[in-house]
Amino acid sequence: MNGGSVVAMIGKDCVAIASDLRLGSQAVGLASNFEKVFPVNDKLFIGLSGLATDTYTLRESLRFRVNMYRMKEEREITPETFTHLVSSTLYEKRFGPYFIEPVVAGLPDATPLNPNPKPFISTMDTIGCITTPKDFAVAGTATDKLYGVAEGLWEPDLEPEDLFETISQTILNAMDRDALSGWGAVVHVISKDKVVTRYLRGRMD
Amino acid sequence: MSRFNPYEENGGSILAIAGQDFSVIAGDTRQSLNYSIQTRYAQKVFPLTSSAVLAVNGFAADGKNFVKRVKQRLERRMFPFYVYNILAGIEEDGTGAVYSFDPVGSYEREACRGAGAAQSLLQPFLDNQIYFKNQTLAPGAEPFVPGRLPLSTVLSLVVDAFSSATERHIEVGDGLEMYVVMAPGRSADDLTAEEAQQAKEWPSELTVEEMESLGDEQEEGKAFRVFRLSRPLKRD
Repeated sequence: MNGGSVVAMIGKDCVAIASDLRLGSQAVGLASNFEKVFPVNDKLFIGLSGLATDTYTLRESLRFRVNMYRMKEEREITPETFTHLVSSTLYEKRFGPYFIEPVVAGLPDATPLNPNPKPFISTMDTIGCITTPKDFAVAGTATDKLYGVAEGLWEPDLEPEDLFETISQTILNAMDRDALSGWGAVVHVISKDKVVTRYLRGRMD
Repeated sequence: MSRFNPYEENGGSILAIAGQDFSVIAGDTRQSLNYSIQTRYAQKVFPLTSSAVLAVNGFAADGKNFVKRVKQRLERRMFPFYVYNILAGIEEDGTGAVYSFDPVGSYEREACRGAGAAQSLLQPFLDNQIYFKNQTLAPGAEPFVPGRLPLSTVLSLVVDAFSSATERHIEVGDGLEMYVVMAPGRSADDLTAEEAQQAKEWPSELTVEEMESLGDEQEEGKAFRVFRLSRPLKRD
């Protein structure tokens, strides 16, 4: 495996998603600019941690499917629908799965049917079994470390700037105790009118 | 044919943090084997002397035996006790000390250490909150010095750390038992005073009792004081 970790958190009318930047082959580090979080549309991102080749394969296959959805439906896909799209894409390979644990984070648009949408995150296992946490979602080689720190730092209704600090501290400190994650991180904070993307410098050992 | 395995893994976690003139050492009280809980109250933290408390985690049977025999001192290298130890107490110079050990006896003095089933959940949290890792100083602020936090802060960090571990790790839970060792002459007001216990930071449902001294060098005003603190953790 190539290592790497992803984490997503819910805040007050905002969500954040972050990944480390390491690409490795066993213990050898190969690249320090390997982002594992990709935009799906303006307010929806997906993190794909696991086997790097599948990160790219799945990203491209999801890009194709989201584009088809956009053309047929003539609207943007919602985070909930996208989660089910990822899930069925993964389950198609039930007996030879993609080695990926995806994390989805998005802020749904208000619609007449859903005038007050809530920030949304979800995770899946390698074959697409969905969980939709109310607080945070983690995946990758630093999973247990991320759980430990996130459980201690996260609190409900964080404003965008506080959510940024919380998710950044979570991934940095979890990464530093994981040999297969690290080499910097990228954080996206999605709020109603903007997405703020910041690159974090971390320990380079 | 499966080979006989003389060791078991009984879950649970321990943790210790050193302060300026005190140290805190804690462990949960669940003892499990695979997916079964053997008991919701098994001690993992043992007062050894008037100024030292030992926490033992790993194979519970070896742990029990280890505590029994450590007072007689022994060496075991070829067939070690399968236990991770953390020792907390007061150093001869009056500073709070934490020493962590591996099963064969390698040791290190540290400001804090988490061990056991939930080590991977506890340690990065402690790195951040005790060693201030990945935190930068606000302009003009006091510099961070690990091992100088006030007792009240340390206590709420220990409770938070174990509550977090309980939430996400099946082998941690039921109860939390902490021991606080205080240097001679140090006031215990920040632990026992009504005012301290009413503070916002004070953990909920915490009971505090002072232990009877285990040493004989206890001259009035020169005595180490040891307190036992306990608190429930989630049982699911």
